[in-house]
Amino acid sequence: MVVLVALSAGIYAAVLIPFKGLVLIPGITEIRPANTLPPVLGLLFGPAGAWGSAFGNLIGDFFGTLGIGSIFGFIGNFMQAYIPYRLWRNLGLLKADDLEPNLNSGRKIFAYTVVALLGSFACALTIGWGLDLLKMVPFAALASIIAVNNSIPSIVLGIPLLMILYPRVKKWNLLWTDIMEEDEIQKPDAKARIAALITSLAILVGLFGGLMAAVAGGQSLFAAGFAGGKAGLASVGFIAGFSAIIFILASLL
Amino acid sequence: MEMFLYMDKDSILHKLDPRTKIFIMLISFAIALMFSSLSLLLILSFLVILYGALGKVLSNLKRIRVILIMIAIMSVILWALTYPGTTRLWGPVTKEGIIYGIAIGIKFDVMIIAGMIFLSSTKIEEISLGLVKLGIPYRPAFAFSTAVRLVPMIVSTSYIITQAQKSRGLDLDTGNILQRIRKYIPLLIPVLISVIRQANILAMALESKGFGYSDKRTSYLEIKFEVRDYAFLAVALLILIVAVYFKFKYRL
Repeated sequence: MVVLVALSAGIYAAVLIPFKGLVLIPGITEIRPANTLPPVLGLLFGPAGAWGSAFGNLIGDFFGTLGIGSIFGFIGNFMQAYIPYRLWRNLGLLKADDLEPNLNSGRKIFAYTVVALLGSFACALTIGWGLDLLKMVPFAALASIIAVNNSIPSIVLGIPLLMILYPRVKKWNLLWTDIMEEDEIQKPDAKARIAALITSLAILVGLFGGLMAAVAGGQSLFAAGFAGGKAGLASVGFIAGFSAIIFILASLL
Repeated sequence: MEMFLYMDKDSILHKLDPRTKIFIMLISFAIALMFSSLSLLLILSFLVILYGALGKVLSNLKRIRVILIMIAIMSVILWALTYPGTTRLWGPVTKEGIIYGIAIGIKFDVMIIAGMIFLSSTKIEEISLGLVKLGIPYRPAFAFSTAVRLVPMIVSTSYIITQAQKSRGLDLDTGNILQRIRKYIPLLIPVLISVIRQANILAMALESKGFGYSDKRTSYLEIKFEVRDYAFLAVALLILIVAVYFKFKYRL
């Protein structure tokens, strides 16, 4: 497990670092094709992939953007890998007898798209809320930019990447289901399904509810968000913050 | 190719306990976050630069200058165009927007420089040990330090694969930026596969050395607080207290 954490982190950081100069929001985020990796790492390596994404992002920050935002970046990137891992088996999008992340059917590609989007939104919600709370960047601007910046590569490049990597990782017995002890692997039962549904709902409510509250409070989406309204709105803090706590707790159940 | 920022110098900063440097870095983040006033952020920048000069690591600023300049320029452009100011200079650009943009640019840059000073004066194994001493479990700390060491290896692997493909006729030097990125994407696969293959070898190496045998570990590297650590921490805390006082007393 420790090796897979290090490996995932190393790969993620190595792809992140060359793009550090392509700044999107000064000091906060840049163009990140590396965001293809967290959902793929999460589905292949499970919790090790999630920790790897978190550490990889932190190491990436070491090459120029280490700051207070790195704390929320750590949690957000963990979640971008952890949420797909948790929801893949438990959300009920797949047949119970075939839960392998091999994307060999339209149904699995659809399930991947859903969990990768939810992972990207979870990351956007966590980082957007955290930096809005610190009054660094308005929620509407940051969360919308991160959501798009994460979603596009994780779907467009993530699907072919997972299709190519899965058979090799499976062959080398490095899938998280091969590494973890049998009793550590959660069964996709009713409790897991409910937790997955709460997680998904909290992510969607937190992100889109937070965005609506932010816009109602005078903020604007994307780059225009820097013009309209200041960071730190109480309504955004409540909706996004409460939902973030709920989805994090539910995802750990 | 030297990827990491660490510089091996004989300075008081290098001799500080990594925990002291972590606390000082966090304190500088906190103070930077507290203020958006240009003059106060300039004072903080001066103090951070002075701290870096003590460690003789400011030459690393050259290595991150592109990022610092990009952040400063983007911040000024972004805020000049969007900040709701009253003194219009040209189109949507306002004087207040430019000043705010400069202040925010400095705020982010000063945090990045504080991070750079920490990384330039602290070895990876010291960071790892510092985190363990601060209560982080050994396994995550080990995974972190191993990952940091893996990055140059992965970059080197990707360089070798790129050169191999070029020697077979792959043209990576022509086309616009998007076309070039598209050409690089297929190279990602052999890099990832090559790196993942090495995971098994690394796992066996760790196992053969008894990794995870005991939760209590000893370390070849020893760190402890000394008088200089307390002195640096006292000064940093004093600056933080003064900053908090000014923040609340004068609403800065």
